[in-house]
Order: sequence, then C-alpha cells, then structure tokens
Amino acid sequence: MTKGLRLGCDVGGSFTDFLLYDPATGAIETHKVPTTPQAPEVGVLQGLAELAQAHPGLTGRLSSLIHGTTLVINAIIERKGAVTGLITNEGFRDVLETRREIRYDIYDIRQAFPRPFVPRHLRHEVPGRLGPDGAEIVPLDHDRLRAELAALTEAGVTSVAVCLLHSYANPDHEQQVARAAEGLGLDLSLSSDVLPEVQEFERFATTSLNAYVRPKVDQYLGALESGLTRAGYDRPLFLMQSGGGVIGAAAARKAPVRLAESGPVGGVLAAGKLGRAAGADTVLAFDMGGTTAKSCLITGGDLPMTRAYEVDRVHRFRRGSGTPLAVPTVDLIEIGAGGGSIARVDDLGLLRIGPESAASDPGPACFGRGGTRATVTDANLVLGYLDPAEFRAGGIVLDRQAAQDVIARDVGDPLGLDPLAAAAAIVAMVDESMSQAARMYAAEQGKDPARATMVAFGGGGPLHGAAVAAKLGNTRLLVPEAAGVFSALGFLMATPSYEVARSLPGRIDALDPCTLAREFDALAAEASAVVTAAAPGARLTRRRFAEMRYVGQGHQLRVALDGDLAPETMARAFSNAYLDAYGYTCDDLTPEIVTLRVLVDAEQESPGFTPGPVSGAETAPRPAWCARSNAMVPHRVLPFDAVTDLTGPALIGQPGTTILVPTGATARKAPQGWLDITLQEDQP
Amino acid sequence: MSGLDAIRHQVLWSRLTSIADEIATTLVRTAFSLVVRDNQDYACALYDARGEMLAQSTQCTPGQAGSTPSVVRDLLATYPPETLVEGDVLISNDPWIGAGHAPDVFIATPVFRRGTLVGFTCTCAHHADMGGRLGATDAREVYEEGLIIPVTKLFSADVENEPLVRLIRRNVRMADKVMGDIRAQMAANRVGAAGLVRMMDEFGLDSLEPVADRVSAHSEAAFRKAIARLPQGETRVEVFHELTDDAGDPIRIALALSVAEDRVRLDFEGTTPQVLKPINAVLNITRAYCVFPFIATLCPDLPMNAGAFRPVELSVPEGSIVNPTYPAPGMYRSLLSYFVVEAIMAALQQIAPDRTMAPSGTYPLWIQKFAGHDRDGRPFVTHYNAQGGQGAFRDRDGNTAVVFPGNIASTSTELFEHDGPFLVERRMLVADSGGPGRYRGGLGQETVLRSLSDAPVHAALSGGRLVEPATGMEGGQPGGKGRICVNDGPPFDKAGRVDLRKGDRVRLVQPGGGGFGDPTARAAEDIRHDLQEGYITPEGAKRDYGWTD
Repeated sequence: MTKGLRLGCDVGGSFTDFLLYDPATGAIETHKVPTTPQAPEVGVLQGLAELAQAHPGLTGRLSSLIHGTTLVINAIIERKGAVTGLITNEGFRDVLETRREIRYDIYDIRQAFPRPFVPRHLRHEVPGRLGPDGAEIVPLDHDRLRAELAALTEAGVTSVAVCLLHSYANPDHEQQVARAAEGLGLDLSLSSDVLPEVQEFERFATTSLNAYVRPKVDQYLGALESGLTRAGYDRPLFLMQSGGGVIGAAAARKAPVRLAESGPVGGVLAAGKLGRAAGADTVLAFDMGGTTAKSCLITGGDLPMTRAYEVDRVHRFRRGSGTPLAVPTVDLIEIGAGGGSIARVDDLGLLRIGPESAASDPGPACFGRGGTRATVTDANLVLGYLDPAEFRAGGIVLDRQAAQDVIARDVGDPLGLDPLAAAAAIVAMVDESMSQAARMYAAEQGKDPARATMVAFGGGGPLHGAAVAAKLGNTRLLVPEAAGVFSALGFLMATPSYEVARSLPGRIDALDPCTLAREFDALAAEASAVVTAAAPGARLTRRRFAEMRYVGQGHQLRVALDGDLAPETMARAFSNAYLDAYGYTCDDLTPEIVTLRVLVDAEQESPGFTPGPVSGAETAPRPAWCARSNAMVPHRVLPFDAVTDLTGPALIGQPGTTILVPTGATARKAPQGWLDITLQEDQP
Repeated sequence: MSGLDAIRHQVLWSRLTSIADEIATTLVRTAFSLVVRDNQDYACALYDARGEMLAQSTQCTPGQAGSTPSVVRDLLATYPPETLVEGDVLISNDPWIGAGHAPDVFIATPVFRRGTLVGFTCTCAHHADMGGRLGATDAREVYEEGLIIPVTKLFSADVENEPLVRLIRRNVRMADKVMGDIRAQMAANRVGAAGLVRMMDEFGLDSLEPVADRVSAHSEAAFRKAIARLPQGETRVEVFHELTDDAGDPIRIALALSVAEDRVRLDFEGTTPQVLKPINAVLNITRAYCVFPFIATLCPDLPMNAGAFRPVELSVPEGSIVNPTYPAPGMYRSLLSYFVVEAIMAALQQIAPDRTMAPSGTYPLWIQKFAGHDRDGRPFVTHYNAQGGQGAFRDRDGNTAVVFPGNIASTSTELFEHDGPFLVERRMLVADSGGPGRYRGGLGQETVLRSLSDAPVHAALSGGRLVEPATGMEGGQPGGKGRICVNDGPPFDKAGRVDLRKGDRVRLVQPGGGGFGDPTARAAEDIRHDLQEGYITPEGAKRDYGWTD
C-alpha cells in the first residue's frame, strides 16, 4: 500500500461503515462495525483500530479522513439535544411557536405542528430593536439582558439561541448579547452567524436547532479528535455537510446544523461526477433504498441548493409539517417509496404504496423474518426480477410463495387481480409515484427533467430506474459499478467547500457595484478562511451567486454572477436564468437582489471511475415481467462484470442490486466501468 | 373493467393531481402579489373539453376551490368550446362566476392536442389590487370594490387583447405587479397544458372526458360511502353574527342539515337577506364552506374533482347573505363565510357529536391593508395577516395562531417592515385567551403596529369576534374576544378604515378559540403545563379551572 490513502467513515443508526480508497490503484475496501450510540467516537476508533490491524501503519498513511454522521439529525429527531434557551426582542418570544400559521393540509383540520425546540418558558425577551436597514431604533437594554441571561442560567439552560429581528442586516445587537454572556458558561448560537438571512421564523428556527445540537456535537467531535490523535492520525478530520462539500472539524463545531443532511448527499455528488464523466450536462440522480427513494437534478455539475429544507416533520413527506433548517442543503426530494414500502388498498379502493415501510425489520414478507404485509420487494420477487442466489449470499432465503400470498390478500383480492397482475400494479404505482415526485421537484426549480440523463443507484435504483426514466422522458440511463455502495464513494469525492450568505435586499439599479463587490469580497474572505483551515495550501475556486427576483416577487432564483457587477450585467444574468426556468421574462420590470452568496471550493483530486476486472458468465434466462407485453417473458441473466453490450430484456446482477434492461433497450459497458443504457422513445 | 385497466386508470388519476400541483408550484414561484406567493392565496385546476373538473391543486384556499368546479363551464357559456382556437386565453374576475370578490382573478387556457380542444388549465390568484376604493369596509355596492372583468378573452389566437390590458392597467394600483401576476398565471397554465398533452401521449388518450367521468364517479362514490356512515337525521341550528343587517338586527345563519342514506342536504331558508355591507358571500363561496367540513371530517384524502361536490346538496335562498344577487358587495366575504363552518359544526354536534369541534377564534379571517407612499414617493399597498386560535376538539386542544378554515400564511414581520414604513412593536400570544375546557381552545395573539410614515397611511382594519367571542361546546367556555384600536381610542365594533399619522399605533388582538368540555375535567398535567408555558395565568387557572395547586 502506498501513501495518500483516503478513508470515508459513515456513522449510521446501526452500523459505522468505512470505505478505504487507494488513489494509486483505484482499489476500494469496505469495513463495518456496530455503531456505539452513547459515544459514537468509540465505534469510529474501534473500526479504525481494526482496519489498522489489517493494514499496519494505516493511520500514518492516510491523507484524509472524511466523516459523515447522523448525530445531528438523530439528536433533532429523538429530541436529545441540550436544554436550550432563546434571547429575542421584546414582544417576539412567540415567533418560534406561531410559525407561518398556514396549515400544510387544507382538509386535515386536526393537524399538529412540531413543538418548538425551545419551550416558551425558556424564551426570554430584551428591549432593543433594529430596523430593516440595520439602523438602531431602540438600543439594547443591558440591565434587562443581564437579568434574562441569569434567569436562563438559573433555569438550567446550557445553550442559548440569540435571535433578534433584522440581525442579518446588522449583527451588532446580537454581538452585544454575546459579549454580555461571556463568562456565564453558556454555549451561544447567534442568528447572524448561523443564517444571516431575512424572514424571522426560518432564521430563528434554524438558529434554535443549532443551539439545540451544538453542545452534543462539540463534545463528540472533541472526543473524536483527541482519540484520533492518540491513534497517531495527524491529518485533518473532515465532516460532510448537507450542502455537498466537506468542512474541517473546527468549523463544524461552530455550525453543526450544516451537518444534518450529510448522508444522502454522497450519492448525489458521485452521480454528478459520473454524469459529467459520461458527458451528460443534466443529470437526474435516482437513489432507491429500503424505505425511501431520493432524486436530485444536477445541471452543469452544480448541485442544486435549497433553503426550504425541513427536519422533524410531523408527517415525514408533507412539506410544511416540520421545522425549517434553512442552511445550504442539497435540494433533493425524498419520497416514501423503497423496497420495504407497504402496498395496500385504501378506503377509497385505491392502491397506495408507502410511506409506511417494513424496512429491514421485519422486512418484506418474502424475507421470512416476520413481515406480514405486501411490499415492493415482494412484488419484485413475484415478477421474477430478484435473484434468490444473490440474497442467499446475504443469508436470506427468499420465499416466493409468501410474497405471492400477501400480495393476493392485500392487493389482488381487493382489486380483483391475479397475484401476478397485482404485483405488476404495485411496481407500476411505485414507479409512477417516483416519477411524479421527480417531476414536481423539477418544476419547483423551474426545470424540465425530460432532458436529463438518469444515474440510478442504491439497492432498488437500477431495477426501477428504466421505468421511472421512461416516464420522465429520459432516454439515457447510467448505472455505476458498485451501485450499492455508490453513496459512500461520494464521500471520498467531496472536496472542502463552504458557502456563506448575507441578505442585502435592494433593486439592482439602486445598488452600488462597489458596495456589492465589497460585500462579496467580505463573504469570500469569510468562506475562504474556513476552507483554507480545512485544506491548507489548496487552490480555491470562489463563486458568487445572488438570489434574485423581479421587484415584488417572493421567490428567488439563484443566479451565478460570474461577470462584473454592473446593473446591466446582473440584469442579463437574471433574465437568462428566468427565461431558462419559466420560459418568459418581464423586461419592463426591474430585478432585485435579496441575498448574496459565495461558495468557495478547494480543488482536490478525487477518486475517478475505474473498471473492475471482467469476470463471471451469463447464466440461464429467467422469466420475468415485461411491462410492454404485460406477460412473463424470458430475460437474459448475467453478472455486471460479464456485460459488454446487449439488448433487453435482461437482468444484470451486482452485489446488492439488480439492473433491469427492459425489452428493446440497449446496454453497453463504458470503458470506465459504468453501464450506459439507451431506452426507446416509447419505452413502457 | 380489467384489473390492469384499473391500475392504468389510477396512475392517470394521480398524475392529474400532480399536474395541478406543478401549475401551483410555477404560479407561486413567479407571482408578484404577496398574497399569492407568501400567503398562498390561490387555486389551480384541470378540466376536460366540456369544462368538467378533473383535479385541483393540493394547496389551495378552500374558498377559491369551491368555485373551481363551475368556473370553466361558466366561461364556456360565453365562449362555446367550438369557437375556441389555439392561443386563446380566457379571463374573468366576476364575483358571481368566480370566488366572490374582484381580487380573485381566474385565467383559463384551452389545451389543444393535434389541433383538437382536449381540456383546460385554470388558475385563480388573489391579486395585489383590482382598483376600486381601497379597503372599502363600508362598501354598499360591488361597484365600489374594484374593476370587474366579465368573461373576456385575454388572448385570441396568441394576440393580446390590448384594449383590455390598457383598461386593467388604467384601473389598478401597481399595474406592473398586477400584469406580472397575470403573466405568471398564464405561464403556470402553460406548464399544466404541456403536462396534460404529455400525459395523453404517454397513455394514448384521445379525450379526457372518459377520464373525467371516471374520476368524478369514483370520488363521488367514495364520498357517499363516507356520508352513509354518519348517523341519519335532521337538525336545525341558528348562528348569530356580531354584525348586523340593514335593519340593525344581528345577522342570522339558519341551517337545516339532514343526512339521509348517502346524501347530505343543507337548507339555509331563514338566513338573513343580503346586506348593504361588503360581507355577502356568493353561492360559490358558500358551497365551498358547505363541502369543506364534510370532506375534512369524513374523508380528508378525497381526490377533488367535479364528483366531490355532488353528494352535498344545497338549498340557498337567492338574495340571502349567503347567495346574494348583483350588485351586492362582497370584498370582505370571509368576515361572514367562515361562520357557515361554525353552523355546520353546531349541527354536526347534534347528530354526529364525535365529528365536531368548538367555534374557532379563526372565524373570521383577519387581514389588515395599508396603502401610502414610501420614502422615495413610490406608492405601496401591503397586507399584514395574523390569526387567532382554533376551537378545541372533543379529544385535543385547538391549534394556536392558525388559519382556519381558509388557508393562507401569515405575514413575516421582517418582510412587512421591508415592504412599508412600519414598525411591528409586538406580536405575542395572549395568555388566558384560549377558551377554557377539558380541551382548551387555541390562543389568540396581540399585534401592535406603528406607522413610521411622514405621509398619512390609509389603513383598512378588519377582523371580528370584537363583540361576541367564540363560544365553547359541551361545557367548554368562550375564547378571548378580538380587539382593534388605534392609539388610546375606543375599540372598533366592526372592521373599519382609518388614516394613520406618523407614530400612530394600531393594536390588534386576534381572538382565541372556544373550549370543549367541562374545564374542571381538564387533566392536572395539562393545566400545569399551560401555567409553566404562560398559556394561562395563575389567576386564570384559579378562575377558569378552579386550580388551587
């Protein structure tokens, strides 16, 4: 083994996974240890020690350790964060509770909303007020401030969110609060640091979440860093962020909410890179696992970002039913449709799939582990798509009869279908839901998914990918080698990056280009400092974005400002982006800027795509369902490594997944190792 | 019907709602009106070539949703389908065809596939302005409430109806925003039209009519099945409103509700005749709030289409305040229309008591409108929305500060201060304002707004429960009353207009919801929690709950 090894480490709910990558040979090795929930660093250090036993001197040969953790999201979901208080303006302690008042389902009159992360009695008010331009209207009352901070300490609060109106325009009052709290032993999160953006509910909620998880993350990362040092590791520890880049541990400890959604981001990153390597400009990443499916539309290599991300939803897949966490987050859609999703016929006589899931425990009925309800995996088995041998390797004996029985009982009989047709119906419905969700998500970004190339991965992505792609009008589908561990590969591909933002509302014709340039420079300096700390000496790319809209609109487009900052140039950039998104422009109206953003990336070599050795051989054809002829037809069956080029119907096996090449579609193995599938225009 | 055909049908059906939601998404993202994009006051729907509704967007305001089943057919009465050509766009904001007041503008785009008319996409959006007297809380006729665009073509074969556009621009404040929203509606309709055509191609459909018939029949049957599970019976209720009719008597909503087999019949005989006040609710609005409580309590997942409106039969006397005739004013119809829900809940309490809820402090809707000139002399019109507390249920507390039964978001204080020269001095829950009960009503809130404008600001302040609070149910107690006042002036007894000078303070108290059940039966731990969080005061706990801890 050579130097410069990279190690990815993903702490999940049950297992801590390791992926060791050798850039010199392209070799990837995986390792797994049980997660230690009380002190996750114990599991991480244990796994590292085990890997080092197999590879003596490992810690000294690692160039980086990239870490993804569910600690933040779990602390939020399980409500196991710090006792958190809030300091806010007099008269505004209820912002966290009154939310936006809108109901997320018009016909559900009994709907509940998530409890605020700071209870009302720990939300304390201090006189003092800034205006929308940041000018002071009422000075901060320091006597009251001291008294309220003392009261919070007295009440057992250890972490405080400081959330004052218009602090995105001027952080001065919040910084005064921070100075007054010095020496009290309180952990502080200022809204002007965490999310300097207009709209109080979203900013206050995000800042309280940061305060809620910060002590826990701080303690964990501190313990992990010292453990790593003891183990002889002296290179940087990187954390995967929700926004797609990695960040050094010190920065992560300040803004832990940026780590919340790090898990799914890996796969999206890798899909973007694969799409690029395959020459596709627009890529639709499609990841289907056991309980959910996710997709993400990536244009020109840029991951789409959202500030409408939510956590702790009362209804997991209902937008608006959670608490906003408005830090830069890769904009992906997650729907409750996975292999374990349960199929049922509802009161209206309609077939519904998910969002309830049998997950891996008890699992689908065909696993014989106590699952008693029909799932998507059961349907796939009945339709002949799954290879029992593949599951046998994982210690599971698939029971086709059990699958057929539950499908007949739960779906076939109520709808008057034979079990085969019922299984086909389940798969058709789940494919339809996924394509609808992807289309809706694209509409929210003002994009058309039809022009995209799909990259399918995860346990179920390669099996359902062709049908979903065809429904969206995609004709090209790429399936990577090792589609099952593709997300972990993405971790290793992530580069250090950081995005910062500041609201600076104004019409472009009223903004001074010099002021804008100064603001952008300040943001770039702030983000660069964070990235340089993580990757000393690396070359940096800085990109400027503005969230823009026509004066009077409410939703912004993220517009890259690569040119100068003259009003005409910015207007042109906005106009082009608007035309691209919505197909028309309003040339008589003036655009305005709402928020400035700077994204700084460190350039760094990341793993590429290298083909594995060609091995394995085609086996006897297997009958499987063909959606075109609505019948079981023989499908060619071969392992991924044995494929060169072929025409469907065929089932191609990979560890942990099966690729379906439908009738009439053609598949060709690219020299870099992925499978390039071309669907027919009218592929059913 | 073969089984696979049934599945294909269901796939089609769910696609329809998905397309309606795509229209809505595009509309919200491109809209100018704060009311559309921030408060989400809109509805989007799809139709077949006859004007039968196929689906409507998941997010929409129930009031507008009530007009969607009939609006396209009403448009087609003026422009029969055979006269329409590709590139036509129809428009109207006639309150009697649409949603009862001028700001709700309907735009419908005929959808053509291979040269044949196959259907329509339609959006309704609440516009920032439609002319007329601003905040005409004392209007006596609809003429005072803005420009009415009768059913007209906005585009004929891709050619803009330029005189109409000039007419609109000349009659409204902030013409750029209004025209921007009209364009946003058209763009959203185009997205939906493309989705419909793509769906027809994918499924090889030549017509949407069989699809419409089938989805409607399915929704209707499911709704009827749910109704059939309600106890049979007939009951009469009367709900009195704190506002008065033209003779000075309290406005009365009289309702006879009967459930017979799979039909619900609602008869409003005896309801107060239409009034010379802007609170009359056209039949479309009344229909919306008659259907809403049944769907909400019986089958909230019902796909909405033409069939979903059939099982609830209405008999609403023409010329009454819930079915007024031209030219009755109705700008502030939500001051009245939400009370239709209160009447139905009161009736349900008698025949199906497990389905009901106590009266809400969220009836009526509170919306404050302000207009003036900003520091640069540019005119502004802006709104501030904040609502009261929901009524309690038989088994749980009402939600605090929520919009119900309408569904629009509240206004962000920071955005409001960017939008106009105001300082919001406070926005807080009001302790003890939730009606006491075994289950407590949701809390109301108090908002104080101060004008910072050198020039006078015209304000139209509207809300309710200023005199009569939301009552409790089954022993539950009333919620806190609403209050509107300016500086130290006397409280308003109804919505009204006022000119604000610099430094004037508007104080608004949105009312709390009614409680459900005997307050002394409230669990001790719930009372303790309410005390700890300040939802009730120690005095309130003693007075309302007999709490002595």
